[in-house]
Amino acid sequence: MDYNFHWRPVFKTLPDLLQSAVLTLEVAILSMILGILFGLALSLIRINMTGPLKWFAVSWIELARNTPALLQLFFFGFGLGAFGIHFSPFLIVLMGLTFNNAGYLAENFRGGFNAIPDTQIKASLSLGMNSFQTYTRIIIPQVLRIVYHPMTNQMVWAVLMSSLGMLVGFRELSGETQFFASKTYRIFEYFAVTAVIYYVLVKIILGISRLIANRLFKY
Amino acid sequence: MTMFSKTLVSLTTAALLLTGATTASADKLDDVIDAGVLRCGVVLDFPPIGYRDANNEPAGFDVDYCKDLAAALEVDHEIIAITWAERLPLIVTNRGDVVFGGTSDTLSRAKTVGFTIPYAIYYAQAIVGADSGIVTVEDMYDKKVAAAIGTVPEQEWLKIAKELGIEGNYQGYQSENEVFLAVAQGKAHAGITTNTTVLPITQQFDTVIAGPRMPWGTDYTSVVGPRMDVTWLNYLNLFVTQQVRSGRYQELWGKYVGGEAPELRIPGVYY
Repeated sequence: MDYNFHWRPVFKTLPDLLQSAVLTLEVAILSMILGILFGLALSLIRINMTGPLKWFAVSWIELARNTPALLQLFFFGFGLGAFGIHFSPFLIVLMGLTFNNAGYLAENFRGGFNAIPDTQIKASLSLGMNSFQTYTRIIIPQVLRIVYHPMTNQMVWAVLMSSLGMLVGFRELSGETQFFASKTYRIFEYFAVTAVIYYVLVKIILGISRLIANRLFKY
Repeated sequence: MTMFSKTLVSLTTAALLLTGATTASADKLDDVIDAGVLRCGVVLDFPPIGYRDANNEPAGFDVDYCKDLAAALEVDHEIIAITWAERLPLIVTNRGDVVFGGTSDTLSRAKTVGFTIPYAIYYAQAIVGADSGIVTVEDMYDKKVAAAIGTVPEQEWLKIAKELGIEGNYQGYQSENEVFLAVAQGKAHAGITTNTTVLPITQQFDTVIAGPRMPWGTDYTSVVGPRMDVTWLNYLNLFVTQQVRSGRYQELWGKYVGGEAPELRIPGVYY
């Protein structure tokens, strides 16, 4: 390869890269929180309801799971843009990731709900709890335990998938990397360092999730 | 060691030495001739310099330059469609032999790849939304401005934006096609491109009109090759001058852009 490595420009802009890594985490965490809320709702609608609401939930899940994440981002960016609806790059990525996360998490939750025996619902109701209490106090805590590790995977996926944001003009970690790489032409060096940053981010997320799991599920 | 083994060892050694010697002396020019194909990186969202025609085939000024160079070398040509940001990596990773892609010959880029003498000259101009109200460059200061990532227009505009503290209004896109779409949809009020692209884009989108010329200098663009392969760059330099001397430069410029081809010499500079 006709190339000499120069690392100085990368280290000079390392603070900017780390700043953009915070943005990556920010959008990934927000999309996970929203994804969990929407995913839970979609899952409950799919299990318990019929008619248009169920069709809506099934369509969301099917589209989120069976189309490329990039197309989903482009839909929220250029697709809605064609109808005069414009969002900032941050919101486009947040909506795209949330849509995708919710679709995948809904199916995780459905698996979790199916793993809880129906008899527990009947027992709760017979003890005088209403449906809301049954779900919030008995069922959902158990479901969250079952889907905890798949949720961690989804969080990692959200961090890595946020890199698609650079294709809609979002300057998160990958976007910032490409910006500096195109400015300095030290392409390999920038993307190598960025790969390391992503690796460390994911390891931190996995470490934190393990700590939380040890605390929550130690019994 | 038997006679047969000795002969085999001698022949192998001779073959290795010969191969080594050939590899050491071969340059990109020889490599291309030996391979029988010239791999050209061309930006195809840069009409009329590089684009896809009605049959989805690569066409334009740069595509014809690639074909002309292949013809001069008496080899086939292969067009590799690239984005602006891929122009330098294509050469550095040896996925292509040469880039015809309106690449400005900046000193910063020259640390990574090699440039020929200029083969085409452009200036930067904006396309703006028909209802954006933008007439002058100053009108763009409080508007959303877009450009393709890794281009000189992006870097020049960001210098201005930084001075004025309006970097937040800037939007970078992967390709010029996305910039044009962003302006056409109203996501951005203005997109910065080259003067030659303005006419075809304003004809393509009803919501886009020609905007002001940008306040930075003329864009001298060069053919790009590997930085350390000086013999290849020499050959490419000769190709650029031959295109002008033969009238082919004017012919292709007239065909794709129209009018008189710009003077390639830089006043006061001796090549």
